[in-house]
Amino acid sequence: MRIAVLSGKGGTGKTTIATNLAANKKNSILIDTDVEEPNSHIFMKPNIEENIAVKVNYPVVDTDKCTLCGKCGTFCRYNAILPAKNNVLVFEEICHDCGGCELVCPTGAISYKQREIGKIHCGKTKYDINMKYGDLNVGEVSGVRIIEKLKDMTKNEEVVFIDSPPGTSCATVAAIEDIDFAVIVTEPTPFGVSDMKMVVEMLRRMNIKFGVVINKAGLGDDEIYDYCKSENIDILEEIPFDEKIAKLYASGDLLSYEIESYKEKIMTILSKIA
Amino acid sequence: MKIAVCAKNEGLKSEVDNRFGRAENYVIYDTEEGNAVTIENSAKNEPSGAGGSATRLLSENKVEVVLAPELGPKAVDAIRAFGIEAYRFNDVKTVEDAINKYKDGSLEKFITSTTNSKHGLHRA
Repeated sequence: MRIAVLSGKGGTGKTTIATNLAANKKNSILIDTDVEEPNSHIFMKPNIEENIAVKVNYPVVDTDKCTLCGKCGTFCRYNAILPAKNNVLVFEEICHDCGGCELVCPTGAISYKQREIGKIHCGKTKYDINMKYGDLNVGEVSGVRIIEKLKDMTKNEEVVFIDSPPGTSCATVAAIEDIDFAVIVTEPTPFGVSDMKMVVEMLRRMNIKFGVVINKAGLGDDEIYDYCKSENIDILEEIPFDEKIAKLYASGDLLSYEIESYKEKIMTILSKIA
Repeated sequence: MKIAVCAKNEGLKSEVDNRFGRAENYVIYDTEEGNAVTIENSAKNEPSGAGGSATRLLSENKVEVVLAPELGPKAVDAIRAFGIEAYRFNDVKTVEDAINKYKDGSLEKFITSTTNSKHGLHRA
């Protein structure tokens, strides 16, 4: 079973919920797919045993075979390959590794080389479960390949918790593809509700079942409750806006291991989803 | 010879645009004919590599000289690969002013970009 934790808005508590769920579910594994800014490991404190390089392809043009027909440049929507007057320029750092230029090249002049865009770190956490997290190199345009590799490496695990990237971008779609359930973590603020609506639309289009955890309850207004009611969205649990949680978070502790009442809330969520 | 100038609007009286790859339009001035045509920059909303795509567009329009306020590192590579010359303008209001300064020989030629990053702003 694969369960993703996502939010729309950043900073609502995805990592807090994802790490607490995983740390309270025996034999689960946690993967942090927010590869632009991974932080689950700060709470899970894994003993890293393995670092795996993630590589992507970029095109290389054989100038003896190339006729400068221009088809590769017209095809590439990111302008990563640019047929010029006497040669073809390749801007490898904006290539999305789709393989299209090789397919449209009529003379077979394009082959690929590999370059590293980031790493996957694997280890056992202090909470006795395994975790893996991706780390995209600074300056890279897309972490999708790292996310796909994280998912592929854990496809045979019994229970996988996925700490997703914020928003509804390609990276988020890659993180939640083929999952069984999504936990939306939101906060009762106008931004929390607005960004969550986009997540709901995305999940419904992808036919993924989901429920909502309202974090920082008591803050903001009631719009989130009205919205969930009108859309028949299940509220799995509410976690109050509480200075104690902020302090635990800031010191890198897991709230369910420090405060019994929050452990109960995490167990309630787990009983409903896994 | 055709000279392209980054422009916000149309014609010689247009205000110059302060970007190259994502300029709104290019005013292309023909030095032999003495007339100007405006083309829309089809690359201005590209997700990435707008400078390279814009250079390709200008090359297709037989442009040999580009006048721009700044060029990104990828655009500099592209301009060179298409055999186009680029000159930097500053303190210029209209397309016409930029062309006059070019004719005076008072514009500096781009050799490399002044930005330090390897390529562009790395925005997807």
